[in-house]
Amino acid sequence: MTTAAALRFRIQEPNARARATSVIALDPASEPFVARLAEDRWNHATFLKWPEEVGAAGPGADEGWLTTFDGRQTRIREAVDSADQVIMVAAAGGRADAAALIGRACSDRRVTTTALIVGAADAADADISKTLAQLRPWSLMVVIASSDDYVRDMMTALRV
Amino acid sequence: MLRKEQNDLLTQTGPGTPGGRLFRSYWVPALLAGELPENDCPPVRVKLLSERLIAFRDSNGRYGLMDEFCAHRGVSLWFARNEECGLRCPYHGWKYDHTGQCVEVPSEPEASGFAGKIKLKSYPLIEKGGVLWTYMGDPASQPPEPEWEFITVPAGHTYTSKRLQESNWLQAMEGGIDSSHVSFLHRGDLNSDPLFKGAKGNQYNLSDSRPVFEVVESPGGLYIGARRNAEEGKYYWRITQWVMPSFTMIAPRGNHSVHGHFWIPIDDDTCWTWSFDYHPIRELTAAELAAMRDGKGIHVKVEPGTYRPLANKDNDYLIDRAAQKAGRTFSGVEGIGMQDASLQESMGPVVDRTKENLVSTDNGIIMARHRLLKAVKALVDKGIAPPGVAGEHQRVRSAAIVLPPDQPFKDGAREAMIARPSVAHASV
Repeated sequence: MTTAAALRFRIQEPNARARATSVIALDPASEPFVARLAEDRWNHATFLKWPEEVGAAGPGADEGWLTTFDGRQTRIREAVDSADQVIMVAAAGGRADAAALIGRACSDRRVTTTALIVGAADAADADISKTLAQLRPWSLMVVIASSDDYVRDMMTALRV
Repeated sequence: MLRKEQNDLLTQTGPGTPGGRLFRSYWVPALLAGELPENDCPPVRVKLLSERLIAFRDSNGRYGLMDEFCAHRGVSLWFARNEECGLRCPYHGWKYDHTGQCVEVPSEPEASGFAGKIKLKSYPLIEKGGVLWTYMGDPASQPPEPEWEFITVPAGHTYTSKRLQESNWLQAMEGGIDSSHVSFLHRGDLNSDPLFKGAKGNQYNLSDSRPVFEVVESPGGLYIGARRNAEEGKYYWRITQWVMPSFTMIAPRGNHSVHGHFWIPIDDDTCWTWSFDYHPIRELTAAELAAMRDGKGIHVKVEPGTYRPLANKDNDYLIDRAAQKAGRTFSGVEGIGMQDASLQESMGPVVDRTKENLVSTDNGIIMARHRLLKAVKALVDKGIAPPGVAGEHQRVRSAAIVLPPDQPFKDGAREAMIARPSVAHASV
């Protein structure tokens, strides 16, 4: 029987370690948004973006490259290997081509993927649909958020 | 994870609290109409949002809901005589009408006007769809009467029950939008419960135990879509509706009735779980009604004369370890309603959300909290009415539907998610 009084005896020790999380902006429109998130304090988060010119034509283009917001390059598989979960952020109507490369790497390594479509409040349904079609095959969970501050709340809730 | 102050804000709903103000923006179910079956019947004690109230039906059929205690010496009016259009306290004979107005103080001269100066706090109480609804907020902001489809279909199409849940409303409601638990906790019931079995959708459920989720904001709350593989590359979608603050509607199965819940705080440690089943275009059959009364589907068996479940925390929910081991039930507890309630109550009256470790599939819960917190802030800071008050937010349906792989469920099921009189629900 669980009563309020009995709850006082619940063990207070921490019951989980921080999960490493890679947060990736998939298109130019979502970059400022992820950059703002990167300025906050998080437990174990890395913030990255998909640089189209490098990702499409640079060295190792077959497997894709990401960059940090201070300009360092990293392979997608390295970003995924070091993560327990990956959060992909795309703007409604934006090109989320990188979702397939990142999603495939996550799938190969059994890393959980969450996709968020931001800027949905003012977006046309067709724009949301276009982005959704790119994200859906590669995401365990897709969230279409009309409020951009949702991503911050979600990351806090997930203890990122 | 929520910070303690956020958890307190959402779980505390007494008078003067921000969360209480949110709930006091809505018409909420207070009693089953059958609890006050005839004029001048015995009054009923009601505790809602941490307020102790008395409900009665006067000689003219008017419903009253007011402070439980006599203004004279604080006697409970549950002992009152319901006679000649009012409740008379048996201690000294003070009498109150259905608005809480004192109309007689026998010890005082009638000409003194003393009775006119005494009035108990009262709330409107209306009957709609076999449920008595009350609005406990500012009278100046009273919204239009509720328009949920289960209370607007013909009487023979709908069945509603209620039960006591010994936990805070929020953890109960969060169970209602946590679609990912169904493939585990309730898997034993899909092919055996008379209110679920036989639907084609059950096979999709059982053959794909790793659904993929999409959470989309709706005008009144959320659409939560759970996607499973169907034939020819299509997707089978189960779309749950959540309307603020605590209405949920579960995706239907086959030609069975469609069902859902309200979770209404009694106080901060307990809530009423309201459960409804209705069919938009036909009467419920005698067999369906018998099953619902027998605690099948989302309903539960209760102790006679009360609304406390027969399986409760004092008897360990009658857990059957042999049934659990044999796979007849996943948790060992019988019945979908009590499978949920047993686990939610096991968290304690108010779960400590500072300790939880949510995962990606909990985004429906995370988004619901996000919207609730925003709505409370907008209400308290700016007086903005929260989502879910307007009638168009209430005229909604859940849906089960097969769609092409590239179609957003919000588009593909757009029509199916709106309640329309005499139009069948979308179900597989």
